[in-house]
Amino acid sequence: MSEDNWVEVAKADSIEMEDLIRFDHGDKTFCVYRIEDGYFATDGMCTHEDVHLEDGLVMDDEIECPMHQGIFNIKSGEALSPPACEDLKTYPVKVENDLVYINIS
Amino acid sequence: MTLVNKILILGAGQSAVYAASEIRKHDTESIIKIFNEENYLPYERPPLSKDFLLNEKKEDDFLFFSKDFYEEKRIELINSKIMSVDFKNKFVFTNDNLKFSYDKLLIATGSINRQLKFDEVIDSNILYLRDIKDAKKIKEKISKVNKVAIIGGGFIGLEIASSLNQQNKSVNIIEISNQLMGRMIPPQIANLVQAEHEKNGNMLFLNNKIKNIKKINDNYKITLDNNVFIDAEIIIVGVGSLPATELFNNSDLKIENGILTNEYCETSIKDIYAAGDVSNFYHPLYKKNIRLESYQHAQNQGISAGKNIVGIQSEYRSIPWMWSNQFNFNLQVTGICDDYEDIIVRGKSIVDGIIYFFLKKEKIYGACGLGLIGKIGKDIKITSKLIEMNISIDKNILSNEEQNLKLLLKNK
Repeated sequence: MSEDNWVEVAKADSIEMEDLIRFDHGDKTFCVYRIEDGYFATDGMCTHEDVHLEDGLVMDDEIECPMHQGIFNIKSGEALSPPACEDLKTYPVKVENDLVYINIS
Repeated sequence: MTLVNKILILGAGQSAVYAASEIRKHDTESIIKIFNEENYLPYERPPLSKDFLLNEKKEDDFLFFSKDFYEEKRIELINSKIMSVDFKNKFVFTNDNLKFSYDKLLIATGSINRQLKFDEVIDSNILYLRDIKDAKKIKEKISKVNKVAIIGGGFIGLEIASSLNQQNKSVNIIEISNQLMGRMIPPQIANLVQAEHEKNGNMLFLNNKIKNIKKINDNYKITLDNNVFIDAEIIIVGVGSLPATELFNNSDLKIENGILTNEYCETSIKDIYAAGDVSNFYHPLYKKNIRLESYQHAQNQGISAGKNIVGIQSEYRSIPWMWSNQFNFNLQVTGICDDYEDIIVRGKSIVDGIIYFFLKKEKIYGACGLGLIGKIGKDIKITSKLIEMNISIDKNILSNEEQNLKLLLKNK
């Protein structure tokens, strides 16, 4: 994990509890979540088909794709329910001075 | 001593594959064989009318699992057609004269296209869409023509119409009833979908029967019952499906619009299970038998059948849910939308998404929405949960877009 790859995403309180925001950086797209256990980040696109998870449903520590209802664990990226079978990539997140950063290396 | 069962699965669609995968999760010993009539690894069918026709996906892009998966899980794919099943002695017989014994059998044969009858020449030339072979044929034909007639304004017909329109084909859609997708979709949403097709240049002929079709050289002239003529270079038919039960017509298996099963995917014969399009199953929430033709149903009932086959009792009570993509819009329906006392609408434009909720005694029975891709999925999913919870709903939250529907889940 390189120190150079921390990227500012948003103000911490701009992400509602049990919700997510989409974050685009360069040619990549991410989802940044706020849940009871803190802030987390994953790739933005579902691994089943190219659908963005930004409109998906966050319940506890799971995100459900709005298209085909594949479910992933937000913290580990693990694909929990078909049709998703490939895990989502996750990224380290930190909060400093009320700002959320993700490490995109 | 470990009991090694022989489990055979007839059909290689969504139910079959997910059942096999589920069986293996719980049972590392049993022999699992899937009978696959097609010369392809099992694949998802939804892309056939959309991404595959649009050349955005190739056939390898929509396999359920790779070849390695089946090897690793020791799920044997047998490329044979089943000719008959001897339920009494527990054997299946294939077209290559092979005989397989079983301990448990899952019937996941899916459905077949309802066919139209005109005359011999027309019947041999009209196209249907069920599998990759059909989709390839449509793609090949479509590359050489411009004018297409689609008979049937259901999901398949409209998805094909959308895909072909996006390839600049001239598309006429003929539908016998007075609304599109009438079997599953309420008129409020069907009308919005109709407007999208018309806006994009597709011609719709609703409430029209076909009087006759004549083939003139390489073209077809379709005459409707109001004497309107439609010219077409190819005709594609999508007029619904029938459960694929022909194999069992002379057996003791109880069949009534599909194979009758209980909530545990069990048929009328011991050790015989059915799942997916072919099953007419008892739904404990709706307290009646229903038969569904959808992706999620096939997958989840397959998983449920897999559990029951290995002895983990699993009541199948998924709320019906299905979707369609046409142009850049996504349509989703959950529950049942034709039995209601009250209708609530949420949203004003299909760009941001519109959902109609159908309620009875303050409870949601069904909902149907249309929006740009991604815009309605979350709320439809929450609605599925609310239907399953069977709770009274604050209608003001439903109709107010500013209010998060998740509030209703928390207020249970």
